[in-house]
Amino acid sequence: MKTSRLMKLLILLTAVAMLLAACPAPMPASDSGSGAADTGDSMAGDFKVGLVTDVGRVNDRSFNQSAWEGVVAAAEALGLAEDDIKYIETQDAKDYADNMQQFIDADYNVIVSVGFALGDATTTAAKENPDVFFIGVDQFQGEAMPNVAGLIFNEDHSGYLAGVLAGSLSKTGTIAAVLGTDLVPPVVAFNEGYIAGAKSVNADINVISTYHPGEISQAFVDPEWGAATAKQALDQGADVIFGAGGITGNGALQEVATADGAGEAVFCIGVDTDQWNTVPAAQPCLISSAMKLITPGVVELVTMASEGEFPGGNYFGDADLAPFHDFDDMVPQELKDLLEETKAGLIDGSIDTGYGN
Amino acid sequence: MSKNAPVSAFHRLRRRYGNTMIVALALIIMAILVNMTPLKEQTWLRVLFGVSALNFTLRATVPLVLGALSGILCERSGIINIGIEGMMLAGAFAGFVAKTSTNHWSLAASLIFSVAAAVAVGGLMGAVHALFSIRFRMDQIISGTVIIILALGTTSYLYNRDAIAEGKFSSIPIPGLAQIPVLGPVLFDNPPITYLALIMVAVVHLGLFYTRWGLRTRAVGEHPRAADTVGINVNRYRYINTSLGGMLAGLAGAFLVLEAVGQFQEGMTAGRGFISLAAMIFGNWNPIGALGAATLFGYTQALQNELLLAGVTQVPRQFISMLPYVVTIVAVSGLVGRVRPPAAEGKVYETEGSA
Repeated sequence: MKTSRLMKLLILLTAVAMLLAACPAPMPASDSGSGAADTGDSMAGDFKVGLVTDVGRVNDRSFNQSAWEGVVAAAEALGLAEDDIKYIETQDAKDYADNMQQFIDADYNVIVSVGFALGDATTTAAKENPDVFFIGVDQFQGEAMPNVAGLIFNEDHSGYLAGVLAGSLSKTGTIAAVLGTDLVPPVVAFNEGYIAGAKSVNADINVISTYHPGEISQAFVDPEWGAATAKQALDQGADVIFGAGGITGNGALQEVATADGAGEAVFCIGVDTDQWNTVPAAQPCLISSAMKLITPGVVELVTMASEGEFPGGNYFGDADLAPFHDFDDMVPQELKDLLEETKAGLIDGSIDTGYGN
Repeated sequence: MSKNAPVSAFHRLRRRYGNTMIVALALIIMAILVNMTPLKEQTWLRVLFGVSALNFTLRATVPLVLGALSGILCERSGIINIGIEGMMLAGAFAGFVAKTSTNHWSLAASLIFSVAAAVAVGGLMGAVHALFSIRFRMDQIISGTVIIILALGTTSYLYNRDAIAEGKFSSIPIPGLAQIPVLGPVLFDNPPITYLALIMVAVVHLGLFYTRWGLRTRAVGEHPRAADTVGINVNRYRYINTSLGGMLAGLAGAFLVLEAVGQFQEGMTAGRGFISLAAMIFGNWNPIGALGAATLFGYTQALQNELLLAGVTQVPRQFISMLPYVVTIVAVSGLVGRVRPPAAEGKVYETEGSA
């Protein structure tokens, strides 16, 4: 009697756990989480924006989060109801297309797909649904389609700025980058820009860069590898480490933050967003971040879509360095000036990062 | 007869030095790879045996060796433990939760408490596995799989991304020993769980082969009927050992969260539990052997990274990325048939006449 009840409980527990592991995320409501559609609002129901994340959560303090913040900001600016913006968190890479289809079936007007890996699924869905606008964050468009905008960045530009910063700060003459996979072109662009930028201030600098050796689904979610590789680079004398690769890169930043001399002799540089805010544990060493301004880019594109002036093809967002925060005093004025000049030079084309040549 | 003599001599050598030979073979392959590639100012020796490579090796080895020890404890008593991955993950998550909820304590107290929580939850998972396998006579492979799915599902569901663990273990150099060149910074300047893992290898080895508990554990795993006949409570030993094994896996999880990374990540064990199983088999269910195997796996990962750092090599990256897998396949396939699992492994034990 007692045994069988316990057994039932355990079976139930197991079944629940399996369900938890297996079921795809349902569409959660945007912010407040519930409620029927607010039909009182003027725009409500007319214009709906859906976002499909790359594998990971919408609050990943990185890409997904920045893109979602862009959607939320655009919705506020356009006066959309909370129920008109939704996201689906992708659990597995093979669900990209299905997750987009959920939004298409629900008559969404704009679908934001976040990440290079969703590129193929986005193009396919866009061909089948010419009346839906697609915003592909980090998705380079080989051939322009009127209803797909690839929000891309000159990663080599922000990488170059990070390289100038790292090359100027380094005392040992060795700097490092801990990177996601080179199967993703933006990561390569960051790295090439970084190397070129560092060499522009110190031609003899030794840049040791390591790409994650695993496959694309693993390369950005392996903080242990990032941390161990950062340690390895420190052991080889690197004193500035650029962590570029989602959570893998965050692992590298946190490792540098706990190293001897963090913030005095060794520094780290984050990526994509201002990681001072997104990875507080990295603050002891985080001098800046090589940013892609995803949020404003998404806001612009969503707004254009709502006005019917959607730009198909590639749409370049801004790339820049994040503020120095607590390290502001440690960065000499000449270096700040140099970074400003470099940025201007990159924009007007007088400085060439050498990437893609 | 005489024609066969060299072959049997080779086999005898192989039987005695099997692991060593494979390690040597792996080293040769690596040396060839390295020598093929133009190195800048670094010599191939530095790449192979540099402090940074060895540090990385140890770091990658710790979770593997703890996982392998966990497997050894369970399997020596006759319970197959395929769920190491799940126990590790559950331990990691428990450690993370404990750490985030005690952030306001002093760092040392909070970390020690978190390790205890990780170990306790790992032990609990072990106990659940034992309960499934012994009481409910479930197929132990299935039970282990259930443990993995249970841990993955529950931790992903409960994980709060906004929770931040503040601080992690930092290195404690051992005075004197840490000053030894090369060996010092590699072996004697590590955070506490690394030391603990190395100590556990010795403890488990001594425990298994030189204590009454160890003898009984092995008896239970090899011939439970005989053990029962002399009055050993077979299933009690299995319960205890599986729970202890779970605790070691939990410690591996604690290593990942509280020492290596400082944060939790969904599915952060990333297959380490399974590599641990391979290390356990490769090490022939022997703690020292498992340490050797785990070190080999850790070393290939370190070397892979070392070769990639700075674009030291002209060999395409994809080939270097294969290195750990090639070594694993060579190691495991070269040994299959030679290692011997505990005889009663995976079999439910019932006292005569009780069924």
